[in-house]
This record gives sequence, C-alpha cells and structure tokens, in this order.
Amino acid sequence: MYSKALNTNQIMRQVMYALALGVVAAYSFFGWGVIVQIVLAVVTAIAVESAFLSIRKHPIKPAISDGSAALSAILLAISIPSIAPWWIVVVGVAFAIIFGKQLYGGLGNNPFNPAMLGYAFLLISYPLQMTTWAGEFLGFSQAIDVVFNLSSVDALSGATQLDNVKTQLALGKMVSELDVHSISQAWINLGFLLGGLYLLFRRVITWHIPAAFITGVAVISSVLFLINDQIYIPVQNHLMLGATMLGAFFIATDPVSGSTTPKGRLIYGFLMGVLVVVIRVFGGYPDGVAFAVLLMNITVPLIDYYTQPKVFGK
Amino acid sequence: MLNQSFNGGIVIDSPHPVEVVEIILAPLPDKVVLPLQQRIGGEAIPCVSVGDKVLTGQVIAKTDDYFCVPIHASISGTVVIIDDQTIPHKSGLRSKCITIESDGKDQWIEHTGCGVDFLHCDQATMIKYIQASGIVGLGGAGFPAHAKLEGIQDCHTLVINGTECEPGIMCDDALMQHHPRDVIRGVEILLHICGAQRAVIAVEDDKQEALNSLLMHCHDDRISIEQIPTKYTSGAEKLLIKVLLGIEVPSGKFAIDIGVICQNVSTTKAIFDAVVENKPLVSRIVTVTGSGVKSPNNYEVRLGASFEHIVSMANPNTNHHSVRMGGMMMGVDVETTRMPICKITNCIFVNNIETKPNTQECIRCGQCNQVCPVNLLPQQLYWYAKNENTDKAMDYNLADCIECRCCDYVCPSHIPLAEYFSFAKALHRKTTEDQYRTDIARERFEFREYRLERTKQERAKMMAAKKEELKKKMANDKAQKGKIAAAMARVKKTKKVSDDVQ
Repeated sequence: MYSKALNTNQIMRQVMYALALGVVAAYSFFGWGVIVQIVLAVVTAIAVESAFLSIRKHPIKPAISDGSAALSAILLAISIPSIAPWWIVVVGVAFAIIFGKQLYGGLGNNPFNPAMLGYAFLLISYPLQMTTWAGEFLGFSQAIDVVFNLSSVDALSGATQLDNVKTQLALGKMVSELDVHSISQAWINLGFLLGGLYLLFRRVITWHIPAAFITGVAVISSVLFLINDQIYIPVQNHLMLGATMLGAFFIATDPVSGSTTPKGRLIYGFLMGVLVVVIRVFGGYPDGVAFAVLLMNITVPLIDYYTQPKVFGK
Repeated sequence: MLNQSFNGGIVIDSPHPVEVVEIILAPLPDKVVLPLQQRIGGEAIPCVSVGDKVLTGQVIAKTDDYFCVPIHASISGTVVIIDDQTIPHKSGLRSKCITIESDGKDQWIEHTGCGVDFLHCDQATMIKYIQASGIVGLGGAGFPAHAKLEGIQDCHTLVINGTECEPGIMCDDALMQHHPRDVIRGVEILLHICGAQRAVIAVEDDKQEALNSLLMHCHDDRISIEQIPTKYTSGAEKLLIKVLLGIEVPSGKFAIDIGVICQNVSTTKAIFDAVVENKPLVSRIVTVTGSGVKSPNNYEVRLGASFEHIVSMANPNTNHHSVRMGGMMMGVDVETTRMPICKITNCIFVNNIETKPNTQECIRCGQCNQVCPVNLLPQQLYWYAKNENTDKAMDYNLADCIECRCCDYVCPSHIPLAEYFSFAKALHRKTTEDQYRTDIARERFEFREYRLERTKQERAKMMAAKKEELKKKMANDKAQKGKIAAAMARVKKTKKVSDDVQ
C-alpha cells in the first residue's frame, strides 16, 4: 500500500546530501573551521533535542533519527562564520532547537524556521562574532585553536563581500570604484545552486519557491540598479553573493514554516526574494535572508488561506 | 483517447498482474450467510423462519424502505439459523443474518421478465424488475440501482463505468471480456429507461481485450466506447464524467443534476439479467488477489459464501494474512476470511502481513495536495482535523473530500490522512446536529416567550379597549341620563305651566 517515494527521514537526508557541494566549496575557501562548526552544531542539536524530548516525555529515538534537528543545525552552522567561537554555535543551535522547535511541540509544529530564528538571535546578540569571517584557508589545528579561543583571530579575519560593499558605499564610494565580486562567494553560491537542482530532480522540493525567490531578488535588484547604478550593485552580484542560493533552495523551502499551496509558494518566495534585497540595501545588516525568512513565516497562514486551489466542482 | 482530465490522481501499476483474465465458476457453497443490513437504509425483515425450505432466488427478507431492495436466497436449501453476525464493514458492524444450508440442487424459483425483445416493456415495469431483483451498484458503492433510475427527466448522457475502481481489481475487466454482449444489451436497456440520446462506456487504456470484445458486440450507434488513461480515481463517478465529457459536476450536486447517469458495467450486466429474465442477483464476480495468494483470479461466486470459499481456490500461501475487502486503497480490513461475500465485495485482498511504517509528524511537504483529485489541501485539513477544529476544516472544503486515500499513499510521514478526514466529517455532522437540536430548542423557547408576551400584550390591549369602551359607555350613559333628566325637567316644567294655566 505504501508508495516507493521518499519518506520523511529520507527527505531530511537528501537535503543534507544536497548541501555537500556548497559545504565543500566553503571548506575550500575557509578551511577546517567550516567542518568543525558543523560537527559542533550537530552534536549540540542532538544533545539539546534529546534533553528536551525527555523532559517532554516523548520518545527520543524516532525524533532524533528523523534528522530534522541535525538538518537545522547544519543549516545554522554553514550560515555562521567558520571562525566564530565555539559557544556561538552552541548557543545558537540550542536557541533554535528549544525556542524555534521544541517549545512549539517539535517537528511540524514550528511557525518559524528554527535555523533562521537561531541565526537572527545570534546576529542581534553577538554582531561582532557573527560578521567576522575567515580571510584565508585554515588547517585543522589552526581551526580548532581559533574556534576554541586558543589563539587570536585578528590576523586571519575579514568581513564578507556584502559587508565590505555596504561599508564602502556608506562611506560615499561609488559602485564603479569598488570590486563587488567575490570568487569564494560565487563558488559557494554555485555549490548550493547545484545542490538545489539536485533536490528539484529528486522531487524533495518543488520549483515554486526557489524560482519565485530568485525572481524576486532579480526583479527588485534590477529595478534598483536601473534607478542608480552607482549606489546599487548589479543583479548578478545580488544573486551570487551572501546567502542567496542557500536561501532560495534550502532555507526558503523549509516546508514546515513555509507556504504550502502552489500559488502561495510563488507569492511567498517572490516576496521573500524582494525582502532579502530590501534588507541588504536599506537595512542595518549586510545580508537579509534570515530576517526575510522570518518575516515571511509570519505571513504564511494568511497566504495559505487566500491561495487555496479551486476545488473540483466549485 | 480523451485529453480532458482532472488534477492529481496517482498511477499505480497493478500490484499482482495476471496474464489472462478469467472468470472461474466457484462451486456451490455448503452454506451461505446473508446479512439483512444493506449499505443504505435499515435492516430488512425476514419473511422466512428457521426450518423453512427455500429455493434459489426466493425472497427471504424485505423492507418498505425506498432505498432498500429485497434479499434473495442465493442457493436452495434450508434456513438453519437467523442470528447476529459480524459482517464486512469498516467498524466491524454486526447485523442480523439468515444462514441457509445448501441441498446441493440449486433449484430456482420461476422467473420471467420482459424477454429478449425488451423494448416493448415500459420503463416502470423495468424499474420494478430491477428493484425486485435486488440490484445495487456493484462497483463498490452499493447504491440501489432503481433509485438512480426512477423519475428521471432530462438525462442526455449515460456513462457506463468500465474502469476498475482501484489497481489490482479485475472483476469488471473480466466481465467485459467474457460477457460483452450482456453488457451492451444492458446499456440498451438503460438507454431505454432513462431516455438518454447516447451512452459512453469508459474502458481504461491498459484493458485492450475488454475494449476489443465490447467493440465486437456493439452495433448500436448511440453507444460509444472510450479509452481513458489508467489513473487511480478515474473510476470515481464525478471524475469520470469530467474525463469523458469535460463537465464538472458542481460540488454538492449529483450527476443527474447535469443530465448524466452513471452505472457500473457489472451493475449494467445485472440489470440486463433482471429486466430480461427477472432473474434475482444471487452471485457476483469477485477478484481474489494479494501477496498472500499464488494465483490471483476472478471467481463467480454465490452471495453469502464465505471469503474462505474462494480464497482457498487461489492457492493461498501458508503465512499469516491480513484480509481486506475492496481495493488496496479504499477497501476495509476485516478480521478473518470467515466473512460472507456481499453485493459490494468486488475484491478480496489477501496479503502477507507487513510491518506498517511508523507515522511521523506532518512536515507540510505538499505531496498530498499534488495528488488530490479534487484539489484539496490535505496538509491543512490534517492540521484542523487533528485539532478537531471542524469549522476551519469545512472552510478548507472538507466536505468535498472523496476519501480516495491518494494523500495517504504519497505521504512521506505515513499519516492516515483520509481516516482523520472521515473522523472530522463525522464530528462535524454530529456537532451540526447537536447545534441544530439546540437551535430548535432555543427557537421553541424563544417562541414560547414571545407567545406568552404576545398573549399578555394582547390581553392588556383588550383590557384597555374594554375599559375604554366601558368609560365611553358610562359617559354615554351619563349623557343619556342627563338628557332624560332634562326631558323630565322639561315635562315637569310644561306640566307645571299647564297646571298653572289651569
């Protein structure tokens, strides 16, 4: 009676596999820190989720083995700088699992994307640590030293390209005077784009949200670029910098907190894409994916209610 | 090939395909158990008692209920017991049943119908024969055939459903392959009864033999035979009409409201028997299939024979089995194979027991709404049904769910969605009924209050009017008295004057 299609555990695993390309790209530019953060995050997630499940007197094994906690942890880990101190990722993941998921009743009941809730919490609380990125490839022992505060990070660190551009523009520089490209960011985005296409191919996600998201980013950034190409960066840079592709294929497509109707998904993705650029350009933070996701999560019940498909015979 | 379709639905390959679709005549059972509870309406009342000899086709129970048909003995023999037994039903319902032990002779009652040149018969007679022969929808719904045919006006198209309602079932396919002439003649009878201009027989595109044999026997140009894509839920009446005719039956309405009547092929064949020979429905074709039998096949078997009677003919393996009546999707699990075969038993699934995957939380992935043939959002309905928020579920069109279980089939968390929906519908019905009752009670109370108040007011008004009248009368009286007094005074005066004069 049961179909041979993917079950929920397999869906979560497929998403993890699809993340691999992007993670490899990030590793090749930032080094072992990326991997250390992921391991820390997953361990924390499993520990916190188990602890909470036992407090709630729920069976632990089925919930852990569905992989949802680990997936949220990985998504958060790859969103934060690879050289952030260990407690950043621990606090963030714990917050995501407890306040983003378990307090609402666990998997399937959370109105917000847990990983992005954790990220927003960290960004607001620890802006310095959350915006200091590795400037070069770090070996394993070097990464361990940095993450566990055994040596100073100053020499190795830098800001992201989006952050740089934002600061420079704020100082009155023109876009034409700046280098708005970033090889590392482009490769990482490409990795996530390919991973996302794999998810589409495996039918883990539908095309609606990523397509609408990318369209949203492209439309609003073209409009801005056409208005003034000296203070707004070009479309291709918006698409290939920051967390655009990760957001489009892996974050916005979180089914639990996202819109669920076909038409609703188009609206949800498009508005999210628009918000990402609006927050990047006009907001106080260099990237806007996390806030755009959380803001759009709020609108989901409304979108879903008004985008119900036409029922047969009505 | 038609290109109209509905959204969703799922393509499932037949789980246990056979090379040649046959109909094997099952031997007469030693005894039959005939439940008196029918799909719709109340229990029929037995008109035989224990110890009576009965003939095949003899009426043994009947009711006056319009939605019921009489129940016939399916073998000749002796009534041995009339008692309560478990019948194949999703809630393990018990019903009064008549048990007949066979005398092995299969002696029939006398029966004559309209004969082969049935066109001289009028519609009412035909419908009477159909009801008297106990014909109900044999596709699985069990809706009485006569009730669908009586009092029809403005029927333009007759749809004959030759699609198997679910993957794995092949009894309709077998019938079309082996009795195409009776099916076509049955369609002609139905055309005569409902006065439609044309009939369309729908056959799935993987049933080439059935199509060929129907084509060979169809010489009536009012009847066309259409191939439709093999997709689960195409067999549902409203969806089939959409596929064939491109018309959507409005939600809450029936096919007849748009001038279409739909009958299953097996029902059509039974109607042929009923009208031509007035031959009661005492047997049906049942598919026996599943992972627990080595040679799945179709059996023509007497109603009331036990599942076991034909399951044993399909070479069951020695494992423990789960038994299911109806298809893999919408069928109902039954406890044992010692259940009686009834008119709606189109298929018996005998499966090796599988461990069911655990149910997980809904992650709103939306696979379900992609396969829903009526475009519902099962993920939303589930959320509200689980929380017993039936009002909100009704907002999301819960009432339109046909419980086809396509959503269950694709759910990656293995949630029994349709069960939740069926529960929520029942809950809604109950709350609306309760609400209705309280409303009635409240209205009655309010009316009583109103009535009392009205009486009070009316009385007050009446009293006031009376008082007024009395006052007036009194005033009148006073005036009258005054007048009299004045007259008297005048008289006195005149008298006095005259006296004085005198």
